[in-house]
Amino acid sequence: MLIYPKHKATHKLQPANTAMLNESTSSHSTVEEIGRIARAVQPNPSRERSFIMVVTRNGHMSEHVMDYAVNVAHRLGYSILAVHVDTLPLFNRSRRSRLFAHAMQESMALFQEKAASNEVIVEHLGELGKIGHVIGRLCRAKKRIEFVAIDKGIRVEEAARHSPVPVFPVLTTQQGVFSKPHSLSSTKKGVFAMSTTSRKRHLKQCILFGALTSTLYGAVFAYQDLVMTYFTKGGVYAVLPVATVFAVSYFHGNFTGSFWSALGIEASKKKTATQVAPQPQTTDTVVAPRPDTRPRLQVNA
Amino acid sequence: MHGPIGEVIQFIDLNAYTITFLFIVGFIGGLVSGFIGSGGAFVLTPGMMSLGVPGTVAVASNMCHKFPKALVGAIKRYKYGQVDIKLGLIMGVFAEIGVQLGIMIQKAILDKWGQAGSNLYVSVIFVLVLVIVGSFVMRDAIKMKRAKMETDVGSTGLAQRLQKIELWPMMTMKTANLRISMWFLLPVALATGMLAATIAVGGFIGVPGMMYIIGVTSIVASATELVIAFVMGLGGTLIWAYYGMVDIRLVMIILAGSLFGVQLGAIGTTYVKDYMIKYVMATIMLIVAVSRLFALPKYLNELHLIAMNDTSVSIATKLSFGIMCLALLIGASIILANLFKARRLEKAAMLNV
Repeated sequence: MLIYPKHKATHKLQPANTAMLNESTSSHSTVEEIGRIARAVQPNPSRERSFIMVVTRNGHMSEHVMDYAVNVAHRLGYSILAVHVDTLPLFNRSRRSRLFAHAMQESMALFQEKAASNEVIVEHLGELGKIGHVIGRLCRAKKRIEFVAIDKGIRVEEAARHSPVPVFPVLTTQQGVFSKPHSLSSTKKGVFAMSTTSRKRHLKQCILFGALTSTLYGAVFAYQDLVMTYFTKGGVYAVLPVATVFAVSYFHGNFTGSFWSALGIEASKKKTATQVAPQPQTTDTVVAPRPDTRPRLQVNA
Repeated sequence: MHGPIGEVIQFIDLNAYTITFLFIVGFIGGLVSGFIGSGGAFVLTPGMMSLGVPGTVAVASNMCHKFPKALVGAIKRYKYGQVDIKLGLIMGVFAEIGVQLGIMIQKAILDKWGQAGSNLYVSVIFVLVLVIVGSFVMRDAIKMKRAKMETDVGSTGLAQRLQKIELWPMMTMKTANLRISMWFLLPVALATGMLAATIAVGGFIGVPGMMYIIGVTSIVASATELVIAFVMGLGGTLIWAYYGMVDIRLVMIILAGSLFGVQLGAIGTTYVKDYMIKYVMATIMLIVAVSRLFALPKYLNELHLIAMNDTSVSIATKLSFGIMCLALLIGASIILANLFKARRLEKAAMLNV
């Protein structure tokens, strides 16, 4: 069943009812013109439209969320408001926000494409701040948001606390199935998934840290006599070699890491996820039921 | 100079041969460490000494290169979700105590039987531990390979029984996915530290100990060993650096190679089947054991327990070092071969989809 956030529960209606109310109000106000009724059913850019708000905090929205939103919007005759929320606007400001913006564009292009084939209108917003606050603010600022669908990575409690309308997380048992043909690196997470040109990024990092490493090595070996005198004095001077190797492990560690990545030698995509908790092998001969791969709605708004 | 030893230490001059040698050994050692959690160190100390580096400086520099390497490897493998930090830190602290114990034992032996006696003790421990543990791990790896087990269940009978014993304080390890009393971690960690103090590679006890006594999968065990190595290495380095024994130039050259290696080794673990880690580890252990066998005559000779002429002793010593290098080379080539084979297969599979 649908459960509403307590403080708003009395003012709001269930989505199905709202949809009906929606139609009936539009028909009330347009008794004279029958043409408008048709327009209410057709998705059009009039102000009367209802919205499904789809929220993600990732650069790339999950495709099963897009698919779900598009299908539901198509059936109900709603429009979609896609919101990308950058929850860490102050973290690593320049690079991260640039990657985020780039990923957002790619993600929206895909969403628009999916929506266009179903004749659904998608509006897009990029927001900064906490998920809950953004949802709360948008629901109040924008009219007729009927419900909110959230992508993976957002806690439903956090979204529901601030939302005046129901919130649904869209889950799927097999994420890969939906994203395979487009493959926006759904296996990766967070910041690392944001750029499609990761090879180039690794190359840049490789050059940057390579330069830093060579500077460090150059400095130590150019002044070896001085370095050796102080570094082997012992006592408090023990900090010097230890600090130096920490610096080496940071600069050179990053350099070597991006070096292999730039060469395209990276971890296996298949195994990393399953390595932590390997499933014990079942020896049953009973054929396991086929996994249900449809995206599903978890109702605990 | 602070310490009394500092006065007599001669730091060597570097030349192209020294640099190339250290870089390559560093790389191969790093590759093996990234993959099985430790290794490489046992070749570096005698290797540096053969270049003319004084023994203490070789040991100190080796120790100092170990912990940044372990740090980088641990971070890399943490990204793959293979490291149990809690287990690693707890065991690292106890292993540090083990190191101090090991040093005390070494000192006692040194006082009683002199340098040759101490060397003999180290070699005997080397051979005993490596042969016993190595053959056990090898047997297990072959068994797993025969049974075609894709994943490592991790729990042997012993580990399962120990995990059932509720003895305060119980500890829950999330990544390793187990709950066990601290009293069973303690001996494994102490033994790891003592072995590290004796032969510079604690992982040869630490990783099998975690796999068979605590019940961690080989992937998590080898990754967690890197955390233990980091804690032990940092502690050891601080002590050696306090006496001014660390040659930062040697350390940096070795690190230049070994960080390349450790990254590649860590990447390798994501491609191979779990028994591969055990297999590589056992192979290296057994070959190193053979190598130490050849080192024994020298010490027995010095103690006048056997009589051998100098030429055969020097041949045996050289052979010993050669076989040790071979052990690392074989380990490294198994890792690389498997890595690239698995990559090819994965690429082919992706194209077919």
